[in-house]
Parts: sequence; structure tokens; C-alpha cells
Amino acid sequence: MPTTDRRITDVDRVVLTRMLDLVIPPADDFPGAGGLGLTERLERSSLRYGRLRSGLLAVLDAMSLDMASRVEGGFAALDEERQIAALKTVETNLPVQFGEFIELVYETYYTDSRVHERIGWAGRPPQPEGFDLEPWDSSVLENARKREPFWREVS
Amino acid sequence: MTEAPIPFGQEPSEQRSEQAMVVAPQITPVITAESQSIPDVADVLIIGAGAAGAAVAWRLAQAGFSVVCLEQGQWINPALYPTKDRNWEILGRHEWNWDPNKRGRPDDYPVNDAESAITPLMFAAVGGSTIHWTAHAPRFHPSDFRVKTLDGVADDWPITYDDLDPYFDQNDMMMGCSGINGDPAGPPRSERPMPPIPLGEDGTHVAAAFDRLGWHWWPSDSYVNSEPYKGRDECNYCGPLGFGCTRKAKSSTDLTYWPEAIRLGAVMKTYSRVSEITVGPDGRATGANYFDRAGNVQHQAARSVVVAANGVGTPRLLLMSKSEAHPNGLINSSGLVGRNLMFHPYTITTGLIPGLSETWKGPMGNILMSQEFYETDLRRDFVRGYAYQLNRGTGPLATALGGAHEPVGWGTGHHEDFAERFGHSVTLAGIGEDLPEEHNTVTLDEQLTDSNGLPAPRINYTLSENSRRMMDHSIRSATTVLEEAGATRIMANPLLREGGWHLMGTARMGEDPERSVVNQWCQAHDTDNVFVVDGSVFVTAGAVNPTPTLQAIALRAADYIAHERDDLKR
Ligand SMILES: Cc1cc2nc3c(=O)[nH]c(=O)nc-3n(C[C@H](O)[C@H](O)[C@H](O)COP(=O)(O)OP(=O)(O)OC[C@H]3O[C@@H](n4cnc5c(N)ncnc54)[C@H](O)[C@@H]3O)c2cc1C
Ligand code: SF4
Repeated sequence: MPTTDRRITDVDRVVLTRMLDLVIPPADDFPGAGGLGLTERLERSSLRYGRLRSGLLAVLDAMSLDMASRVEGGFAALDEERQIAALKTVETNLPVQFGEFIELVYETYYTDSRVHERIGWAGRPPQPEGFDLEPWDSSVLENARKREPFWREVS
Repeated sequence: MTEAPIPFGQEPSEQRSEQAMVVAPQITPVITAESQSIPDVADVLIIGAGAAGAAVAWRLAQAGFSVVCLEQGQWINPALYPTKDRNWEILGRHEWNWDPNKRGRPDDYPVNDAESAITPLMFAAVGGSTIHWTAHAPRFHPSDFRVKTLDGVADDWPITYDDLDPYFDQNDMMMGCSGINGDPAGPPRSERPMPPIPLGEDGTHVAAAFDRLGWHWWPSDSYVNSEPYKGRDECNYCGPLGFGCTRKAKSSTDLTYWPEAIRLGAVMKTYSRVSEITVGPDGRATGANYFDRAGNVQHQAARSVVVAANGVGTPRLLLMSKSEAHPNGLINSSGLVGRNLMFHPYTITTGLIPGLSETWKGPMGNILMSQEFYETDLRRDFVRGYAYQLNRGTGPLATALGGAHEPVGWGTGHHEDFAERFGHSVTLAGIGEDLPEEHNTVTLDEQLTDSNGLPAPRINYTLSENSRRMMDHSIRSATTVLEEAGATRIMANPLLREGGWHLMGTARMGEDPERSVVNQWCQAHDTDNVFVVDGSVFVTAGAVNPTPTLQAIALRAADYIAHERDDLKR
């Protein structure tokens, strides 16, 4: 659980890394968001955007208060099924904060160059290179041009 | 110790380039007011340096009037737009968000939109909202100006399409229009200065589906350069039109009208937020009070005032400008300032088409438009109509977050859902004609204020039954097109909340001073030296993006001042 002065603890980091893997799991032999080592970057990124930071802290707080986790000695000690159930409970009870947490996870994962390579996104920002399109070809208008004018005339 | 949030403009991570994060200061002006000679009393004081204010400044500076513009924002250096940054998608969601409440820059004023079905979107800078816009540049139809006569709803405008025709052309040349003649959905018109932007594989594919259904489509008119134009580069199809264009291929008025206006002598005062238009004992405007960058109140005297602060900022300012002569706010004897707010309601219908790939290549919008359902058809259960704009897919992050739809689900199935969407989506955005209703309003908020302590605008807006039926129809027809195009999954958003790009109707024009705020020349009925030239003056909304029409109206008003109001010249 984050400390009262809202810092994230090492225990939180372990929980967070596991949560990242549940939110975006491994695919084939590509690691999940936790396995990619995104926890630190996510934490730093949350410092910039207050709204997302609140979501992160609220979800971490809620995880540490989760009944099953407390009984079993922490979220990390639960099996995967119960970890997912715990996350779903937070999603139901704190939909706004959970949505902000998901936003933060996706922001971190889908701006990672390794992920870009995997999904086939150009490994660069849109500029300065841009992309190519076939040049304009007016023959595409062959059908559209056959239509009689149909705008309403006004006197 | 509490970890403090990182202040705006500082680098939190080595992943981000220093340059693109620093959005606020050190912006290079074309020219600063300090280096210009500012008249003690301007002939014309323009408030707001966006699409409309820029057009008026250029025309009146050309006609020899002394022009001063007060703009709350600053010059933006196009090199600093986020699309060159590795984290461009994150920057676009935060520092460059379309919603001023989410950006939270001190240049912006906040908007209380809690009671509005649609969130107003705008930008504060030289160039105004054209910094962010996607530069779709269609024109209103002739019928849009005659809705009462034709369909028995709302009111006719005091002007016609023909009145605006020459100004549409003038604006197309100044802004730089790409497009092609022959569209059967609109009246014949002059050649555009540039050919259309190519349709791309996805655009061609969807166009063929429209063709098979026998439904109208036409390449979009676009203020994006398809070839180099007036010193600005051609588009290199990078995609995210809406975060500013580092190549200057997308037209915005800081790149088009303003440099010309300033060359002709117009003076630009940035970081100048107007708090009140001042009046003399006779109720005529004498200038404006404004906060300068240091927060000090200054006064600029003027023989006339042109308000161009957009459909939300203009009524806000007029309502803030109360005086003995104008107890309900400036030029508000009709009580209509701030009433009849119109947005264009948008539906977003997205099809996932496995046969298409990399639909993120190419300008995000401005591909083609369909006006099959534009005009009233009495067989339908609504009056007036709507149009479609085709939009492309987005980058990885925007795809994962769903855009106008639900985000890609987390957990099991995440990667399959993402793969189905990414690079395979195309969207038909339905843009509907909203009719004016007096209960849709911009008023002054009693609690929320901007960084100078001025009241924020408060929006009350509900979607009408007519608009709801119209927009439902737009989803059904879009589904037909996307199915015809081979979509295997279709997602529909029945009303895009973050879609208040078009702000209209809050100081409407008309012949009757009891039913309107300004006359056909945009001159206030109440006071002959106050003009309103932005989307506030729209009587109805049409079903196309409004900016070419509002700029044409602004140019026509400026022409009137240039020819008929020599009394305003020193
Ligand atoms: C993301 C986005 C996409 C869009 N896409 C399109 C499109 O494709 N096609 C289209 O036709 N339209 C589009 N629009 C709408 C278009 O940008 C506006 O219609 C147009 O810019 C309105 O022009 P304007 O001059 O009335 O107001 P603006 O361009 O908004 O300019 C108003 C200016 O007034 C200033 N101002 C306000 N209050 C004060 C004050 N009190 N003191 C000093 N300055 C003040 C503001 O800072 C601002 O710079 C889009 C808008 C957005 C936000
Ligand atoms: S798509 Fe074209 S106009 Fe839009 S930002 Fe990219 S280069 Fe500029």
C-alpha cells in the first residue's frame, strides 16, 4: 500500500509488476507488460499526470485492502485466478480510478519501442518522414461523376 | 515526503525529448507587438486571433484601417508540435489535448461542461482552434440558409449562399484548398488551387462500397496542401492531423492570414486576455480592458470592436461586459447572447475490415465525405440531415484506448482484440445538423474562474429528439456502408461526447433586433461599432464543418466595414 505521504513502496512495485502482467499478458514468447520491465517507467510517467497518478494510487490501495490478499498474505501470494478476481473487484468498485490505471498501463506499454516492433508500427514517430500514399487518381470518380446534381435549389 | 507532480514543461523521463515537452514559453512570434507601433486608438480592435479574427484583420489592414488584435494565447512554433516526438501519442492526450479542461494550460480558460451532452473543444493561440483543427473545408449548402422556408423549422438567415460565394473562394485561396470540382451534392464552384489529397487504399475501398450502394461520396475539400502552396510544404501523410502540423502543410491562420495581416500593419498583442469591452455613456464601444502577461489590467482604446472569440468565448465576453447602457451584457437587449448554442452532434461508426492493413497511414481525416443524407427527406422521421466524413485508423495507443469506443479489453483476449482493430479500422463519422434551441446556453459560471479570476463559461446543452433520430439513422446507414465494405465487426458510439469542435449560434444574425443580436453584416443591432464575426452569428448549423463558412462571413463583414464604415478610420 502506498505510504501515507503517497509514495510507492517496494512491495507495491512487486504487486504492480504482477498486475501489469495480468492487464497485458505475455503473448507467444513476448513478455507481458510486467515482464517487459515497464513498472519504473509507468511510475515516473504517473508523476507527470496527476489524474493518472490518483488512479494508480487508488488501485494499489484497493489491492492491498482486498480481503483475499489480506488473508493469504498479500496479492502476490494469490493464484492467478484469484488475482484476476481481485482486479475485477476493483474495476467494479472503482470504475473511474481503474479506468485511469488502465490508461496509464496502456500509455506505457503502447509507446514502448519493443511493442511497436511486435505490432508492426513504424519504429518512429509520424514526422519527419511521414508515410506514402498512391498519388491521386481521378478515375476513382468515374461512378460518382455519373450522378445528377441533387442539392436543393433555393429561389 | 510527498512526490510533487512534475510541472508543465519539465522532462520526467529520458524517453521524452526535451524539445517537444516545452510547449509553453519561448515561442517565436512572426512579429511582436513590442516591435510594432501600437496606435493609441485603433480603428478596429479585434478580440481573438483564430479563424475569423485573422480573416478580418487581413482584409481591414489591407483596406488601410489600423488594426490591433488582443489574443489571450501566444504564437506557437510549428517545430514544437508533438508528432516528431517518440511519445507523440501521450503528448496528444495531455499537453495537446483538444479539451481545454484536460490540457489545463494557463492560456486556456476552463469550461464547466457538467450539464452538457457534448464537451466544447478549442485552442487558445494565434491561429485559435485552427492550430488543432483537422482542416476539413466543406461549404454550407444553399438550402442551409433557408431552413424555415424549405422545411418550416428554425429561421432563415438574412444572407444566402450566393452572398458568400465570392468570399468562400477568397478564403480557399488564402487558406489553400485541395479538392476537385464536379460534386453533384453542391452547386458549381470555382476550381480549388490544389488537387485532392489521395484517397489511399482504405479510402478507395470505402468509396467503392458507396458506389456499389449507389450512395454519394466525394473527395473531401481540405485546407491541407496536396502540393507545396504559398511557401508551405505539401502533406507527407503522416496521420495525426489534429495535433498541429510540423510541416505547415495543414493550414492554420497563424501561417496564412496573420503573417499577411501583420505585413500590412496589423498589430498582434499576445497574452492579452480581454475581461471587458468598454463603452461610453452613449453605449458605443470605446475599446477593451485586458490582462497582460504579468496579470496587470491594461486598456486598448478603439473606434470599433470586432469580437472573434468563438461561439463560447464571444458570449462569455459579451456577458462579462455589463454596463449601465448594457445591463444584461453588451449588445444583449434581445436576451439572446449565449442562447441557441449549437454543436454538430457526431456519431462514430467504426468498421474492422480484415482486408485492409495499415489504415493509420495517411491523414486521419479529410479523405472523403458523403452527403447522401444531407437534405430533408420527408420519408424519414427527422428534418434536415447529416453528412459522413471518413476517418482512418489511429496509432497504437489511441487504438488500445479505443478512441470513441470502448478500450481494448484487459487480460485474456487483449492481444486478439488489439490485433483485430489495429491497422484494420475505418470510421464513418456522422455529423448532424443541430437546430437552434434557446435552452441550450453559454452563461457565466458562478464558481469556476480562469487564471485571471474571470468567470468561466458554463454550458447547458441537451440533444433534441430530432437530432437523436437523425443520428440513429446515421449509425444505421454507416453500418450498411461498412458491411458492404467487408467489415467483420462494427462498433458504434451514438453521441461522441468529446466532439464539440463546432461552436455556433450564441449571438445569431437576423433582421429583427428582438430575435437576433447582429445584422447581416455582423454589426450589432444595439451598437453600431461592435461586430461579431465568428460561429456565434450562425442562425442554423448546416451539417458540415463550419469554418470556411464562418470565415466567408467574416470576410464579408470586413468588406462591409472597408466599403461602408469610413467613419471608423482615423
Ligand atoms: C480539434 C479540432 C478539430 C477541428 N476540425 C475542424 C475541421 O476539420 N473543419 C472545420 O471547419 N472546423 C474544425 N474545427 C473548428 C474550427 O477550429 C473552428 O470552427 C474555428 O477555429 C473557429 O474560429 P473562431 O475564430 O471563431 O474561433 P477560434 O479559432 O477558437 O479562435 C478564438 C480565439 O479567441 C481567443 N479568445 C477567446 N476569448 C478571449 C478573450 N477574452 N481575450 C482574448 N482572446 C480570447 C482564443 O484564445 C482563440 O485564439 C475544429 C476544432 C477543433 C478544436
Ligand atoms: S497528415 Fe499531412 S497535414 Fe496532417 S499533420 Fe501530417 S503532414 Fe501535416
